[in-house]
Amino acid sequence: MIHIIIDEKSCAAQEGDIVLSIARREGIDIPAFCYDESLAPYGACRMCLVEVVKGARPGITTSCTLQAVDGLEVLTETPEITRLRKALLELYLAQAPRAEALKALAKRYGVTKTRFARKVVKEDPLQNKCILCGLCVRVCGEIMGAGAINYIGRGQFTEINTPFYEENEACLGCGACAEVCPTQAIALEDIASTRVMKSWSETKVPLKQCAACGSFFAPVPFTAYAYEKLDPSIEESLKDLCPACRGREMARKVIRTFQG
Amino acid sequence: MPDTPRIAVGLATCGIAAGGDRVYNTFETSIRERGADIMLTKVGCIGYCREEPFVNLQLPGKPLVILHRVAETDVDRIINAVTNGDVPRDLALCRIDEWDPIVGDPLRFGTGFEDIPAYQDIPYFAPQKKIVLRDAGLINPEDIEEYFSVGGYTALYKALTAMSPEAVIDEVITSGLRGRGGAGFPTGVKWNFTKKEKSLQKYIICNADEGDPGAYMNRNEMESDPHMILEGMLIGAYAIGAQEGIIYVRAEYPLAIERLTNAVEEARAHGLLGENIFGTEFSFDLTMAEGAGAFVCGEETALIASIEGKTGRPRPRPPFPAQKGLWGMPTNINNVETWTNIPVIISRGGKWFSKIGGEKNSGTKVYSLVGEVQRVGLVEIPLGTPINALVYDIGNGGIDGREIKAVQTGGPSGGCIPATLFDTPMDYEHLTAVGSIMGSGGVVVMDETTSMVDTARFFIGFTNEESCGKCVPCREGLKHMLMLLDKVLTGKGTQADLDLLEELSSIIKKTSLCGLGQTAPTPVLTTLKYFKDEYDAFLKGAVT
Repeated sequence: MIHIIIDEKSCAAQEGDIVLSIARREGIDIPAFCYDESLAPYGACRMCLVEVVKGARPGITTSCTLQAVDGLEVLTETPEITRLRKALLELYLAQAPRAEALKALAKRYGVTKTRFARKVVKEDPLQNKCILCGLCVRVCGEIMGAGAINYIGRGQFTEINTPFYEENEACLGCGACAEVCPTQAIALEDIASTRVMKSWSETKVPLKQCAACGSFFAPVPFTAYAYEKLDPSIEESLKDLCPACRGREMARKVIRTFQG
Repeated sequence: MPDTPRIAVGLATCGIAAGGDRVYNTFETSIRERGADIMLTKVGCIGYCREEPFVNLQLPGKPLVILHRVAETDVDRIINAVTNGDVPRDLALCRIDEWDPIVGDPLRFGTGFEDIPAYQDIPYFAPQKKIVLRDAGLINPEDIEEYFSVGGYTALYKALTAMSPEAVIDEVITSGLRGRGGAGFPTGVKWNFTKKEKSLQKYIICNADEGDPGAYMNRNEMESDPHMILEGMLIGAYAIGAQEGIIYVRAEYPLAIERLTNAVEEARAHGLLGENIFGTEFSFDLTMAEGAGAFVCGEETALIASIEGKTGRPRPRPPFPAQKGLWGMPTNINNVETWTNIPVIISRGGKWFSKIGGEKNSGTKVYSLVGEVQRVGLVEIPLGTPINALVYDIGNGGIDGREIKAVQTGGPSGGCIPATLFDTPMDYEHLTAVGSIMGSGGVVVMDETTSMVDTARFFIGFTNEESCGKCVPCREGLKHMLMLLDKVLTGKGTQADLDLLEELSSIIKKTSLCGLGQTAPTPVLTTLKYFKDEYDAFLKGAVT
């Protein structure tokens, strides 16, 4: 157990813990778009800047890549950090002018407009909301193991989509990408027996129909993936049931067991 | 020295571009048709780009004579002269009686031809000190035997048989050698980081992803003397405890790749790569990796990602490559030119090396002197030499007597230094103090006809194009800087635009993820500092 100081508050931690994680569990709010505890540190959004006042490398750095060592002391809101953050928010507002979550954060910093030329793309699959934090790409690759989407191009022309903008059968339809997106840029819709990943080149994923009630409850490839991961697995007869019917069926079995 | 005359044509990429390959082919045909007893071979480049193509003539007992600006039409009379034991005077640039290849014994060519100026009397060569380019333009880069003849691989033999790995690192630390890729970190100290890591597998990498506009030092080092890089890497691998090495070369350097690949095969055939080198316990092998056109892959972590087959995007450090590098293993990366200095340091000793150059800036640096300067080419001078000496003594000032206004050092990450500061010594600290950087050695000269705003725009255009797009300040910030510069250059800019340009520069510098973004605004910041009047002249209302 070691101690670090964040904004004059002493916080207990394990050596090597990520400072941004420590801050969050201590209730200290550091804004960040590209960070998720379940993923490897990425350091792309540059919002979580802190100033190291005591440590091996004093100066401004990203807290999502900063590892705790005993005696480390950081400040999360100095005038310089605020200045940098406001400028970054202006750049984001120009890049993703329709991202509401972004606008809300910017407003908290008193940034309501941007001095930079706004980029508006007609028929943008990501609705002019994408800030390229990369969470969707990483969750799809690192966690789901699907790798259905990735970056295309580089620099200011970087986009995220499926390879060659074609429907990608590697997509499990799980929607983890949309779940982690900080600006709600990713659109998907269930239409009858099909899940349409609207942002990902209209990739269509069939939905599994419940053998009991007939409702469509989850993407077929995703259920196959999930059932394979379960250890111990569930009974074959339950695999074709939606969560509600599965619960009912399991309860029935328990009752039958009791009744002999 | 051979007892038959030897003709060697300078055939690095630069020599080939200047027509050297046609000269070589004509020699080949003509010598064959005449049945002349002349040995024809190719060499790399001696670095005086303006005077290419070069042909070296080596008559038994005579000095080596370097002919310049040789055309195919000169071939016959050159052969005539050589058969008569002479050389054509009008084509002779200089003669070399004796040459010190630094590693190994001096080469004594011979005496005579005293009417031809000596190498050391040529103003372009006189102030130079060739340590890195010790064999460039003199030996055949495709023949390991010629590398042996200049003491090649003797430093490796010394290290493996008479020195402990610790002693090798101590020697490199004593030499004071600093990374030649640009950052100038002490090489021996860096090696120790990887050495100290506990791991069964360690890698070393040669960074040959040279990409600064106007810079081609590494290309010539690879094309003219590939074995010195291999030897440096072998010594480094022994010191660090690495079993595998990778040379990462940009795909735009096909000849360098070809010659390095050939050198690796030659070394392997001679038992200099592989198991139990020189009969010792030390085993090591090298492979080649090619880049795919991204400038940012010169950055260590992006380079590693690229070798692993991933998109070339930098990742935050720590962990440093010394801890977690290629395939998650401890990895030491050095620039081509850094590796080339290693055999010299082992052969002559760290102390000898430390006395060359300036304080805390030992050794020499190769610069590619290009742009609006009379004598363009590759120049090797001790660190700490003032810019004046490079631009005026060696480069002979502006073209057609035009006044030189500034130099850009360090490529797109560097800054423009005005002529008023040309007494600045070219070393890591002094160049940083005037707002630029040493970088990898590109020196672009600009004269009175060059617009500094346009120059800044060129470099921002370059980095904007080469930004990987991972972090927002570099990806979006540079885009807006470019738009603002375009606005200024078209006469529509205002003072507010200049202020925003300056503010954005500071933001990008302070918040970018990797070195590319952190240094990209330097050309704008330095031109705003030293040439503000040129920006003002473009502002709205100022243009008439």
